Amino acid sequence: MSWDLRNLDRRIMYAVLLLALAIPIGYEFVLPPTRLQNADKMYEVIKNLDLGEKGVVFVAFDWGPSTVAENGPQTELVIEHLMRRRLRFATFSQYYLAAPLLDSVPRKIAERLMAEYPGQTWEYGKDWVNLGYRPGDSIFIQGIPKSTNLAEYFKSDANGISLSQIPLWKHVGGFGDIKLLAQITGLTNTFSTLVQFFKNEKHTPLLVHGCTSIGIPDAYIYLDSNQLNGLLEGIAGAAWYAERLKQEYTERKPDKFLVPFTALGIAHLVLLALILLGNLSVFFGTKRSGGVAR
Amino acid sequence: MSWESSTIILGGIATLAIYSFLFFGENRFYRFFEHLFIGISAGLYAVQPISLFLWGDIIQPMFGLDIVTYPDGTTSKEYNSYFLLYLIPMTIGMLYYFMYSARYSWLSQIAIGIALGAAGGLAFEGFFNEIWPQITGSFKPLVVLDSLGNILVEESINNTLFVLILLIVMNYFFFTFRAQAGPLKRLNTSGRWLMMISFGALFGSTVMARMSLLIERLQFMILEWYPTLWKIFA
Repeated sequence: MSWDLRNLDRRIMYAVLLLALAIPIGYEFVLPPTRLQNADKMYEVIKNLDLGEKGVVFVAFDWGPSTVAENGPQTELVIEHLMRRRLRFATFSQYYLAAPLLDSVPRKIAERLMAEYPGQTWEYGKDWVNLGYRPGDSIFIQGIPKSTNLAEYFKSDANGISLSQIPLWKHVGGFGDIKLLAQITGLTNTFSTLVQFFKNEKHTPLLVHGCTSIGIPDAYIYLDSNQLNGLLEGIAGAAWYAERLKQEYTERKPDKFLVPFTALGIAHLVLLALILLGNLSVFFGTKRSGGVAR
Repeated sequence: MSWESSTIILGGIATLAIYSFLFFGENRFYRFFEHLFIGISAGLYAVQPISLFLWGDIIQPMFGLDIVTYPDGTTSKEYNSYFLLYLIPMTIGMLYYFMYSARYSWLSQIAIGIALGAAGGLAFEGFFNEIWPQITGSFKPLVVLDSLGNILVEESINNTLFVLILLIVMNYFFFTFRAQAGPLKRLNTSGRWLMMISFGALFGSTVMARMSLLIERLQFMILEWYPTLWKIFA
């Protein structure tokens, strides 16, 4: 009998992984989320934010279908928290594939909240505004902090309506009125553009960030230097953020984010088992043949 | 079959096609959907900036196309001729296309020079804005005290480790002279090991991201695609 698993057909491993993931997803089996300190920090930033009369939150959706698994839940949770707290916000994106999401995500959350709180309304133009896809990367971003009149800089919303005609924008003046920037992305270059240019000598808005798992080690550098005030680390960060929302808003319906979180934990266990088995097979295979590991 | 059901069915077929690569290697089913994806993505990339930005924010205001004339003869806003100034950078940008002409290709160098200058200036400013706080953020006290003067052990260990690892890894990248033996050589080896650990963490996070993508697709296949398929054919 051969101990060496290195020649094992990789399709068997894929099938094992698929099966291990399909069971929790199919049965919607969930485990409680782990507390994440950085998601807590982000939650506290939004929880304690005071916009005053003129303030506004900017939410950058710099993600598309390829990272919807992680950035999708993160965005929905941030928007939900802002809406629950009645904090005015404007959405925009530096990524062209995010354009339809800038409209659909806040509308979806607003509908859900209106069903949860009959009699209360969340309206486009009063509670949020969609500034649309804005190309130009750093050239566009570096113009925002220089602006003393954001309505003049952005001119119109995604539907072509002048910002001066939108009720939410009535009191918003220049860059100093942006109290918080929340950026959700799987693209590290769009994030570093914001870190580099979304500030001026007088004002640096609070910055919170939702990243895919690949971006976590990079994002820790910004957390350590206090350039970042809170972080959602992939789907695990979203799961804990959802738990915090549930703790504060007890009437909130259970959401679906815990299913992928649980499946991810199971996927990790399967991968660890495969790595362990692979190493053990090499170890014992070499020992039996009395030779050196190939 | 409704429009929504059709998109779900098509999405499921596309997902199966892409994942078929794992089980059957390069195959026609996979290749067809791969090309379809690249084509759609490239088409969108070309059209989105025009439809979402160039038309509404540049062309329309420049030619007054966004002004509505009401039945009583009044207009929604005054035409602002300053928008015509957009023509200047647009003309400079168009000079790029002279690179296809052997005779006038020098004109494209004007646009390239301006773009390079602007990008260089921005990169310089951006680098300092991004890196300077990280440099000052690495100046950490090795012994952290609370307001009563007691040593905070956890924070002190964290900071000491941080500074130690930073110095060891920086030493690894010091190439002015080569450490052949002795403590510097051992320090270099430690630097390499520390980086290996960080690469391990990076690999782990990459696996986590890829698994998240797979889970999202599986959720779609199990909770949306399969029930829709069942509803249509059962």
